[in-house]
Amino acid sequence: MVRYASLIAANALRNRRRSALTVASIAISLCLLAVLGAAYLALFGEPEASPAEALRLMTHHKVSITQPMPVSFEARIRQIPGVADAMVWQWFGGTYKDARDPRNFFARFAVEPARLFGIRSELRIPAGHRARFQQERTGCIAGRKLAARFAWKPGDRVTLLGDIFPVTLELTIAGIYDDPNNDEILYFNYEYLRELLKAEDAGPDQVGVFIVQVKSLDAVIPVADAIDKEFENSTAPTETVTERAWQLSFLSFLGNLKLFLSSICGALGFTVLLVCANTISMAVRERIREVGIMKTLGFRPGTLVALTIAESTCLALAGGAIGLGLAEILCVMVQSSGTAYAALNLRITAEVALASCAAAVALGVGSSALPAWQASRMNILDALRHTG
Amino acid sequence: MNTPVIATRKLVKEFVRANFHILALHEIDISIEAGAFFTLMGPSGSGKSTLLHLIAAMDRPTRGEIRVLGEDLRALSNRAIAQWRNRHIGFIFQSFNLIPVLSALENVELPLKLTDLSHRERWEHALTALELVGLADHADHLPGQLSGGQEQRVAIARAIVTDPDIILADEPTGNLDAEAAQEVLMLLSRLNREFGKTIVMVTHDPHAASYATEVRHLEKGELKAASSETP
Repeated sequence: MVRYASLIAANALRNRRRSALTVASIAISLCLLAVLGAAYLALFGEPEASPAEALRLMTHHKVSITQPMPVSFEARIRQIPGVADAMVWQWFGGTYKDARDPRNFFARFAVEPARLFGIRSELRIPAGHRARFQQERTGCIAGRKLAARFAWKPGDRVTLLGDIFPVTLELTIAGIYDDPNNDEILYFNYEYLRELLKAEDAGPDQVGVFIVQVKSLDAVIPVADAIDKEFENSTAPTETVTERAWQLSFLSFLGNLKLFLSSICGALGFTVLLVCANTISMAVRERIREVGIMKTLGFRPGTLVALTIAESTCLALAGGAIGLGLAEILCVMVQSSGTAYAALNLRITAEVALASCAAAVALGVGSSALPAWQASRMNILDALRHTG
Repeated sequence: MNTPVIATRKLVKEFVRANFHILALHEIDISIEAGAFFTLMGPSGSGKSTLLHLIAAMDRPTRGEIRVLGEDLRALSNRAIAQWRNRHIGFIFQSFNLIPVLSALENVELPLKLTDLSHRERWEHALTALELVGLADHADHLPGQLSGGQEQRVAIARAIVTDPDIILADEPTGNLDAEAAQEVLMLLSRLNREFGKTIVMVTHDPHAASYATEVRHLEKGELKAASSETP
């Protein structure tokens, strides 16, 4: 096919405006496909759970995570064989500064500072920061990325206005931590929240979630079953899942996102396939006479089909390359936007890039195969008489 | 007596158009010897081009025999015919039929892409063919930048670049002015005389036919009695 490169290039650039528009439409479509692919991978790509993560379970109310459980469950959970430790993991919600600005959104959890670094052992924090967090009742720690977003440093004050809870937290940054998985969370002392709730008489002894550390991998499933069995007949029956399953369960709030993303990708791919097929058909129709000439010179139908497919694939790959570049720029923009979407950690991975290239090739081949085959099958004389 | 390079026997070609049978050629018997400059004349619709297409294996006969260079064309598969045409036939069209996005040199090189020649050899051959038709200095020109006469000369270069045994020309001067037509005819004549190419030309121009060594007339699909003419 290399010897036909000049012919393929000349044909691809024959109608420059049409080729540019085709490449642009493929680029935009594949850019969207790549971003959707990146989102799909970010949401559903299941990276290997870290050893620490694999040992963690999340226990919540069986009905819903919005239903509270008595905080006394924590002590009973610790008694279950196989459990290494357990602590409260309470979503606070609330607003920071102007709630209308999505850039002010970040995750805030009430935890037990004495237990946090044992259960979430992947957190890295200077000893001084850690000690301060464990000592100060109103202390909090912020992930490095989060701290950088708001230019926080130890000693800074952070006020969180409650919405789920009718209290206002006046926190002080005690330290900055690093977490390879997610360093955009703010952790504060559960005891501080509990005191405020007690003062407001707003159900201080109710919590949403317990995070449980299991002693060994073999014990993960038995412990989960044992916890749920322990509270089976209580006022708050529980459901205990692995941390990974817990994270994925939030996606279920969005409905069948997998199907939704797949449907958009499918519809997008099919639409751009039709657009390309139409363009290539038009290009082939205009060149039917040339097909007749080339057949007269001795070109076989198979070669003519291959030439058309190669031309179409080159255009599709050019569009794909531009689309991938645009997708990369888009992902970087989302990452640096400081919005909640940044947490998705959208990245054009090698997997997404390869899939996009494959989609471009499929687009090139799929859109040109039929028109090329039809033209190549034409009788030479009919092709030479063609006046399209 | 030379061996005929083209021989037909009771060659019939019928076309079916909307349930109507049109008899384009009726029991044609011709024999063209190697090195001949054979011209077919006749009015429009007489079947001249149809016969030329059958000789080039661009179409299949309805009945009868056709042997070109000793090959029974009816017996060849489509794949074999394409290869055979590339090796043995050079075809010149009335409307030049150059690929508009390729330069003169690339157009001439096109049939050589089907050979085993290297890129350099292909370009050398193509340039030689262009030199032969006097257009080496126009190698980089696109067809749109050439005059009609020059385009036809490029088409002739393309037809001869594979060194075919037979050159078939379908009204090669039909779209040219008198001066350009003269150049093309002299070129064909030179290819016939100096390079020994067998040429079969279809024309309805008596002046063009005067360059031929043999002229036959077709009327309503039937070949008229033979007469030999020399230029």
